[in-house]
Amino acid sequence: MSTVLAKQDRLKIFGLLSPAYLWLTVAIFLPLSAMLYFSFLSDVPFGQKEWFHTTENYKAFFTTPTYSILLWKSLRLALMVTVISVFIGFPCAYVLAKTIKGRAREALFLLVILPFWSNSLVRIFSWAIVLRGNGILEVGLNAVLPFEVDVNLMFSTPAIVIGLVHSYLPYVILTSYLALQAIDDNLIDAARSMGAGKLTILWRIILPLSLPGLLAGAVLIFVPVVGSFMEPRILGGRVGTYFGTVIEDQFVAVYNWPLGAALSFVLLAVVLLILAISSPILRKART
Amino acid sequence: MNKSFFAASALAAFSIGSAVAADEIRVLNWQGYGTDLDWAVAAFTDKTGHTVVHEYFNSEQEMLTKLRTNPGAYDVVLINAAFTPQAQDEGLIGPIDASKISNIADVPENLTGNEDLNAGGALHGVPWTWGLTSFAVNTNEFDTMPSSIEVFWDQSHQGKVSIRDDALEAVQFAAIATGQDINNIENLDAVKEKLASLMPQIKTYWGSENDWNQFMAAGDLSVATFWSGSASRSMSAGLPVQFVVPQEGAIGWLDGLSIPASSTKQDAAHAFIDWMIDPEFYVKWAAEGAPASANAKAAAALPDDAFNKRVLGDPEVVARVQFQRPVSDEDREAYLALWQELKAAQ
Amino acid sequence: MNSRLLANLGRLWLGLILVFLYAPILVMAFMSFNASQYYQLPFEFSMRWYEKLASNGEIIDAATRSVLIAIVTTILATTLGTAASVALFRFEFRGKRFLQVMLFPPIAIPWLITGTAMLIFFFGVGLGRGTPSVIIGHVALALPYVIVVVSARLATFDATLEEAARSMGAGGWTITRRVTLPWIAPGIIAGALFAFAVSFDQFVVSYFLSEPGDSTLPVLIYTSIRKGFTPEINAISTIIIVISMAVMLFAARFSNFGGER
Repeated sequence: MSTVLAKQDRLKIFGLLSPAYLWLTVAIFLPLSAMLYFSFLSDVPFGQKEWFHTTENYKAFFTTPTYSILLWKSLRLALMVTVISVFIGFPCAYVLAKTIKGRAREALFLLVILPFWSNSLVRIFSWAIVLRGNGILEVGLNAVLPFEVDVNLMFSTPAIVIGLVHSYLPYVILTSYLALQAIDDNLIDAARSMGAGKLTILWRIILPLSLPGLLAGAVLIFVPVVGSFMEPRILGGRVGTYFGTVIEDQFVAVYNWPLGAALSFVLLAVVLLILAISSPILRKART
Repeated sequence: MNKSFFAASALAAFSIGSAVAADEIRVLNWQGYGTDLDWAVAAFTDKTGHTVVHEYFNSEQEMLTKLRTNPGAYDVVLINAAFTPQAQDEGLIGPIDASKISNIADVPENLTGNEDLNAGGALHGVPWTWGLTSFAVNTNEFDTMPSSIEVFWDQSHQGKVSIRDDALEAVQFAAIATGQDINNIENLDAVKEKLASLMPQIKTYWGSENDWNQFMAAGDLSVATFWSGSASRSMSAGLPVQFVVPQEGAIGWLDGLSIPASSTKQDAAHAFIDWMIDPEFYVKWAAEGAPASANAKAAAALPDDAFNKRVLGDPEVVARVQFQRPVSDEDREAYLALWQELKAAQ
Repeated sequence: MNSRLLANLGRLWLGLILVFLYAPILVMAFMSFNASQYYQLPFEFSMRWYEKLASNGEIIDAATRSVLIAIVTTILATTLGTAASVALFRFEFRGKRFLQVMLFPPIAIPWLITGTAMLIFFFGVGLGRGTPSVIIGHVALALPYVIVVVSARLATFDATLEEAARSMGAGGWTITRRVTLPWIAPGIIAGALFAFAVSFDQFVVSYFLSEPGDSTLPVLIYTSIRKGFTPEINAISTIIIVISMAVMLFAARFSNFGGER
């Protein structure tokens, strides 16, 4: 009996998983394997060019200080953006899930994600108009404040952080909301009736129970921000060079796909390593 | 898709009676660079019956990638002469049949005979336009126009300077500033040092004409490198800028129109190129802002106050120009490494 | 009282975040009514970009195509992604960790590299370019987002609910339809909204894989930055946002996908 069930389960698992993973395999994993292969070549194997197998592209990462400096810079940026997004997004999700009731909640839930539906480049250029000297922020502040302020955030790290937080904040708000909204209000009420304080409730009930959502959101922010190059370039100006920039250059400025691919797989490996190291710690925090 | 399909079939139905077969040709070019002007395409279709579809690229590397991966997809491609030998060498483009291009007679021999366009011993790119990479200044910030490239290093413009985020352009720019041959840079350390001392002056790098115009319009910049054709467009759009060719010289480039070896619409492609170097087309284009034409008759047909005649028509200016030659992959990668190192140190 | 004050502070916070999220959107809309081509201030009201847009078939075609592709992508990615999330949640099996980890490469590797890889691979296998290829690529890029978001919701699912339903005699399909799906519905909706956003903003894959003349709105925007895009782009973006907002608020009015009250 049990073997029959297991077989049924296997069929179910296969039926549910295979469409998505087959799709991913054909459209992403196989192409990326080709890229992975290229990253071990001296040149792209098209045309009559000479090429051979090599690990030179990976060695380049370790022998060129530029790359590790920039990767470190990108990781710090991603951490900063993630932490800021979590700190401002989680309370927001909490209010949405627990304070707002009724139709208003649905409407607000949708409003949070709607900015995502506009083109990212148009959004970044709009930020540029807000942040630059004599831009909307400065003009607006000076119209309200009794004294003159000089706000020119454009082309600085804060500008990059603002732009990136804006782009990725909805992830953490929505995933946290999904988890928070699932917490039974009765549980909170019961704890309160037993005399638990607000902080205790937050720390012992709400945070642990909503952690899966919070973490999913944090990962969805951290992972793509490490490789970002568009927002830093436009908003950061002179200080906007990151690891994503050098990867992009290998594809756009010079025809060095092998090096560009190798650098992106290094990026991927580092990101996965960080996730692997942090997941046991986080899992412990959960219990 | 539907729209162009209907247009094409309507056209096909229309031209059934005539002897000329109407083809749809595909042109690969930078966006907004002459070939895709609505009126120009419409005039070409009126004249020949052929229709034109465009596809764009954002870098030369991408253009080459598209040619490599899409054989048969394109009929006309714009290639900077510095890349023509590579495209020819890889077998991506075929020789031009000059007998099918009547206007080529008006293109001076020093251009049709250009070594790079004649890669492999035959003409592989029809000289179309040329221009300069130099710089432009915000006229609100300058009483007298600077005459030296040293203005970029002038302390009084600190934080109001920009160059393009492009390794090759940055290195060649610094080569000119250090008095070197851009095609044979012997002292790369001097270039690096010169660029390193430029970095604190820079507000931002620019990436596209769009960035450039917005930064200038917002008053973020007082001096920035720029392309001559783009400068003429910005000026005609009313921005307070002036293009400068300094005494140290400027980078010159030549763009040619080529036909992919895999094109099956050779006649239509040749006809399109013929139209593109036609003086009638050029004069109208130049009024909107265009680089200099390779066709001497077209250049001569411009009004005297036209930017391309006034600035680029001056023989003294032309004498200061160093034309870009092909750059080897090794050099290109070395320049990129240098540029990335400088940027990462910021 | 204290908790009342806290609740109001919370509402204020949410309001501030909404202001932050909408600041650039408002600027975008604002600039679509500004006469200057280079987004110059001071503001000077003009409808010229909307007038120009009305006669710009290329932008309108591209926007329509983008919306259609995004809708197809959303449906496919949400369906496949939800199915996969349910399997990953409900069953323990060998290789599960691996499958979960495999969701990260598409998110971590910059789209430019993934897009280039798709381009050479799709050509290598003879699939070539065209709208089907674009959709295949978009669905693949959207899938990891859907799976991560739906799984985040599923992680909060109390399996005893299904047990309870089963003990009351409900069959597998009934349980799924009446218990599991309603519970994860907010997650599915959120996943769908993300899938739409990923497709609607996806530039690289569309850029490499769409047929010339068949470009999508992001492609049009990205390729036009070289010459300079005009506030027509702001105008079309504003129209799209206004329409989506109307559709969403309308949908919110008549459903309870925000979850039970």
